[in-house]
Amino acid sequence: MIQLPGALAISFVVGGAVAFALGATALAEAEDLSAIYWLAVGAICVRASAQLARPGART
Amino acid sequence: MESSQTSASSGPEATSQDNPPTAARRIADRISAMGSAAQATVPGAYAWAVTVAPVAWSHGAGTLSKMGAIVALIALGAGSLGERMWGRRGRLASLWGFVLASATSWSAAPDALASRRIDAPHGLAGMLGWGLFGLVLAAPSLEGSGRPATVPDAGPPIARRRLARADAVCVLGAAAIAVSMQFIGWGVASAERALLVRFVALAAGLAVIDAGATVALAQHARRVQRPVPARLRSSMVPLVALGMLALAGLLFALRG
Repeated sequence: MIQLPGALAISFVVGGAVAFALGATALAEAEDLSAIYWLAVGAICVRASAQLARPGART
Repeated sequence: MESSQTSASSGPEATSQDNPPTAARRIADRISAMGSAAQATVPGAYAWAVTVAPVAWSHGAGTLSKMGAIVALIALGAGSLGERMWGRRGRLASLWGFVLASATSWSAAPDALASRRIDAPHGLAGMLGWGLFGLVLAAPSLEGSGRPATVPDAGPPIARRRLARADAVCVLGAAAIAVSMQFIGWGVASAERALLVRFVALAAGLAVIDAGATVALAQHARRVQRPVPARLRSSMVPLVALGMLALAGLLFALRG
């Protein structure tokens, strides 16, 4: 059973992937400011997902 | 009972002694005995052949450029000997000799490095060669099989568990997203921008696969599960940064 942090982490991974895709598309269309924005959003989403999913100390 | 224990304990040793090393193992042992400078000669020679030699022997390149290319190759080849004689200092001398001589060769023939003469596959192959050279030289050399295996005495080994279906879906979904990113930006006209898009898409795909695997593995970690508020607190910095970016994007869109 996936708990709330796990579900949030998965949604952040999906959101990060979408943001990365938007950033790469903007980069291909020479819209550099949008590309930087979306790539930054994607990187932070991926980072947040890892922080949320990370469990505590070893048993 | 005692005899069965003796035979069980001596079994693997007898097997490893009876089985002669295979040809692949012998080659790997021989390569590992060379050291990292000798291992780096292969990608170094590739990088030299792709990026230095065509410049030095291009139309209009002078003698200095050719001399630089030859000195670079000698410095690369001497790295193995230098590492055996002087250790790390010899390896560093070989590295800097190779890099500086290559730079001299390029500097003496600046026209050969003009963007109109270097196409995207050529540039990509050169980048790959120099990257591999740096990686092999910086990394520790391959370890041979002669060293005894160090197995920590931490009780009986834990049985390998099967991958849960949800985890497989998570990792495969991340991989599918990463693959789908490779379809972006193939119609870009500029070669530099096309390379940048490829690089960004590749890095983004790897980041998504890493995040998906992290989330999937975290569900089964044999650790104390932190309470939800503690997890939210620990991820407060990226969440706040994400909120600020969302607000900035909203304001920017309203202004536009």
